[in-house]
Amino acid sequence: MLEIKNISKIYGEGPAKVVALNNVSLRVNEGDFIAIMGPSGSGKSTLLNIIGGLDYPSRGEVILDGERIDNLGENDFVDIRRGEIAYVFQEYHLLSSLTALENVMLPLTFCGAEKGEEQALEILRRVGLAGRAEHKPSQLSGGEQQRVAIARALVNSPSLILADEPTGNMDQKMGREILDLFHQLNKDGRSIIMVTHAPEIAKQAKEIIVLQDGQIVDKISQQGGEQ
Amino acid sequence: MKLYQMVVKDVIRRKKRVLYASLGVVIGVTTIVAVLTIALAAEANIYGQIEKYGANLMVMPAISDIDIGLGGLSLGTLAIGENYISEDKLPEIRRITDGKIREALGIEDEGNIATIAPKLYMNTKVNGTSVIVVGVDPQEEHKLKTWWRVSEGRYLEGPDEALVGATAAELLKLNVGDTITLNGREVTITGILEETGSNEDYQVFVPIETAQKAFNKEGLVSSIDVRALCSACPTADIASSINENIPGVRAVAVKQIAETEMGMMEKISKFLLALAGITLAVGCFGVVNTMMTSVHERIKDIGIMKAVGASRNQIIKIFLYEAIIIGVAGGFFGYVAGTLLAYIVGPLVFKGVAVTYVPQYFLPSLVLATFIAVIATVYPAFRASKIKVADSFRSL
Repeated sequence: MLEIKNISKIYGEGPAKVVALNNVSLRVNEGDFIAIMGPSGSGKSTLLNIIGGLDYPSRGEVILDGERIDNLGENDFVDIRRGEIAYVFQEYHLLSSLTALENVMLPLTFCGAEKGEEQALEILRRVGLAGRAEHKPSQLSGGEQQRVAIARALVNSPSLILADEPTGNMDQKMGREILDLFHQLNKDGRSIIMVTHAPEIAKQAKEIIVLQDGQIVDKISQQGGEQ
Repeated sequence: MKLYQMVVKDVIRRKKRVLYASLGVVIGVTTIVAVLTIALAAEANIYGQIEKYGANLMVMPAISDIDIGLGGLSLGTLAIGENYISEDKLPEIRRITDGKIREALGIEDEGNIATIAPKLYMNTKVNGTSVIVVGVDPQEEHKLKTWWRVSEGRYLEGPDEALVGATAAELLKLNVGDTITLNGREVTITGILEETGSNEDYQVFVPIETAQKAFNKEGLVSSIDVRALCSACPTADIASSINENIPGVRAVAVKQIAETEMGMMEKISKFLLALAGITLAVGCFGVVNTMMTSVHERIKDIGIMKAVGASRNQIIKIFLYEAIIIGVAGGFFGYVAGTLLAYIVGPLVFKGVAVTYVPQYFLPSLVLATFIAVIATVYPAFRASKIKVADSFRSL
């Protein structure tokens, strides 16, 4: 469903030039669960941002369902963000002025949906937070906030979920719960690409890609991943 | 949840910031509302005066210098000089005035139509205090000064009687029945006038013959008030006819003087409005500034919204909705503050002007403030819409 071909990303010019990604290619099929690993500064987040259209590659192509999306204008890309691809961030990135429920409803609001409260509540229930719908992010624990963020990512039923160190700010127990949630989503047929630097988390993916200095140095396939 | 509902929630959470952002608009609208409210009150005051005295003419000696008041308006000064009008001219003035009125209204009545009230102004000392004594024709003057009320005693009926203005009576400690000496001639106070709020309060009125005898001005008057009795009467026409036909006098239609005053009032209003406009423009820059700050502070939020599907237009809309809230709040507070300011400052600027709030200014205040806030937000909103998601997260 998604293919990236010979992607490079270069920041800055001249002596300040930084090559974040160097000729990276990757295929994501339906139902994949890919973990991207690598040390800090290896280009993991940049790769994820380019896949998700949050950033543009300096060279190369991103092809989603047979169509190039790396050269789309911002207005066209909005449609992809509203449907096909959703994000989960390490810092949760919830709007602090809105309740958990309203945060989940946010993508629907931007799609122009007038209601969506029931739909959002149903998804909050799935992530186990139906009872905290009216809480503000500041009243929720890190794990709860991340589950709200995942619910927000799910509300538009995307086929691909991009997660940038989703358990990075959590203790093991909470991280475990979040990972279980991702596994559940993967079983439901969604593809997941997750950036992490923790090997024990990466082990649970079906495929591990190791980045170093902007290049893929290893690809490990682990059928089904460890549960 | 609709987009505007989200903005409202956000604004409620940041109400202090939003109020701060609207401050520039508030100050601008306050100034404009205050200026307009005061100007309107002052205009109403002038129109009121014209309504009251509008059909009047003043006939003065060709060279003159007496302080002539029209209600609260000063219409020039008239120092007691050597120049007087001879009483002989009164019938001629009446003939011209009545003739013109008959002509204008198409009536044939032979009787007197206009009120012709001659006056002799004299400055003298009563009990050691300087006062202006006004010799008047009691009957004609009474027809002219319809607003006069005698608070104590009675109106002038015979020679050597005096009617004292309220303030003069108080300052000179005069009561009904007292006798005062005017340049050696004794007169008895028969009445005290109610306060009128004009310079009449400081004057002493006596029959004109009494004044003429006391000050040796037999057959002379200082000025003549002519009341034409109808608001449609051609006062300016009468004035020019008198000026053409009677030498040594100058006739002025009060309306003309009031209109001149009105013209000046309008010029002042325009100038103040221009100042208020500048204030509003400065306020506009204030909004631009706070909005830019707001954009900067919310780079992350904007990034989040874009990441979950907000389009550029939606980001612009979010800021414009906020601008509308700022504008409406600014317009509301500006209207209230401007009205209060008018109530405080109005009476200081124009004595005796009764300021009233003007509900018709409320809606325009909201519209103007909203317009300004929206205009000021266009650029910041455009900047916000251009923020790139990846950059917004990296900047943290």
